Amino acid sequence: MKGAELKHEDLEGLLKGLLDKGVVDCLVMPHRTGKNVSYMLVKDADKIESAASAIFAPSFSVNAANLVKGWTIKEKVGIVAKPCEIMAAIELIKLKQMDKESMLLIAVDCAGTYTNQVYREHYADIGDEADSAKITELEGKGITIREACAICENKLADEGDIIIAKGAGENVVVAGLTDRGVDALSALDISLEDKDLERAAEKEKIAAEAKAKLASLPELNSLDALEEFLQDCIVCKNCRDVCPVCYCKECFFDQPLGDPVGGDLLNLAELRGAIGLPTGQLFYHLTRVYHVSTTCVGCGACEDACPKDIPLTRFYPVITQKVQEIFKYEPGKDVDEPLPFTAYEEEELEECLR
Amino acid sequence: MGEEAKEEFEPKIVGFTCNWCTYAAADLAGTSRKKYPPNSRIIRLMCSARLDPMFVLKALLNGADGVFFSGCHPGECHYIKGNFYARRRIAAIRTILKQFGLDDRFKSYWISASEGEKFANTMKSLTEEVKELGPNPLGGKIL
Repeated sequence: MKGAELKHEDLEGLLKGLLDKGVVDCLVMPHRTGKNVSYMLVKDADKIESAASAIFAPSFSVNAANLVKGWTIKEKVGIVAKPCEIMAAIELIKLKQMDKESMLLIAVDCAGTYTNQVYREHYADIGDEADSAKITELEGKGITIREACAICENKLADEGDIIIAKGAGENVVVAGLTDRGVDALSALDISLEDKDLERAAEKEKIAAEAKAKLASLPELNSLDALEEFLQDCIVCKNCRDVCPVCYCKECFFDQPLGDPVGGDLLNLAELRGAIGLPTGQLFYHLTRVYHVSTTCVGCGACEDACPKDIPLTRFYPVITQKVQEIFKYEPGKDVDEPLPFTAYEEEELEECLR
Repeated sequence: MGEEAKEEFEPKIVGFTCNWCTYAAADLAGTSRKKYPPNSRIIRLMCSARLDPMFVLKALLNGADGVFFSGCHPGECHYIKGNFYARRRIAAIRTILKQFGLDDRFKSYWISASEGEKFANTMKSLTEEVKELGPNPLGGKIL
């Protein structure tokens, strides 16, 4: 891995350099909006201010991959985002929703994030950045990170073209993972050297904590439990709209068969005696969980978007992980690995057929 | 449910079969006068890869007591590799159904065009299994 150790404040110069040297035509990156953080699309490097405090902010607004979904453009787009967002972008590239050649994916270390509301409310306590020690400390005060982050095993950036990792003290390590990433960094005014990030132990610790947290959550393991879980769902489909890997141009649930009205509903009611209104919560969510079953990166955007506060993180990432396990597939890791549904082996999965 | 009522229960089974193998096997079972229970309603697909797992979900949510899928044996697909793709999708949907205890009602088989007898026997055993499971609880629910 080729990279360089930079001072915290030099990070801004690095990002500006990407634009100034023409490595990328534009950058999609977080920026500060008062006490919160949201994304911006930058063409002019001068518009980048307090970049470090924005890109390390423990706040999740939207999944950045969802913002660039369907951008099949020739211009070079740099995306600076958290690992889950870069993972989603990689899945979208595999799903041909973005052009691999036009994207420069820059993943930033994350320690866990707060929802916009929590971050705004407790900004005084949380501050611009939060490491895992601080997050644990705040948990004692009742300020907790999003559940999706608590069960996330991919907090350390190790996907995409370039990673921005926490180094010793206040320093950050910038390293290129792919040839494209190394080329991009070489074009900047920094001297690259061989960098070996020894993070296996840290990664294991994060995975163990995430697994323990997951095990402590109530499991949806029966039809009754699922029905109760979804009883408040109003089928607004927000969870679909914010999901980076839900990408159909025309969703089945926006079509007459999936979104029946009037006479169609009467026919359904005649068939079953009575139907719930709105109808089809189970059908919608079970279909959606199948559709994202191999590509869900567990970012938790669906839960944040739910107007009824259904903890969807206990549903989507948990169930899709089980499907990913049978295919031994990790979404968002290797851009050249085929999606499970586009590949097969001649002898496999016998235990899944009965 | 009393013992008597259980005996009377005639399950509704929805089957999705491939045109080139199982559908022909059902035909063969008919022309060779093999008897099998009349509980299954077969929907013909041009290939097992046409099975969108949503079909399975929809059938179950609409109260089908059992759903089965049957295609050509792996490696014998009329379209070379359709059933390999179908197998992956089925594995995925089965994993999801299993989470909620619904996988018992979804069966998958490989039955070739020459296996009329296997088809008849499969229908017999499938009907028995589904009778054993009883009616699909989703059928009566207000969903």
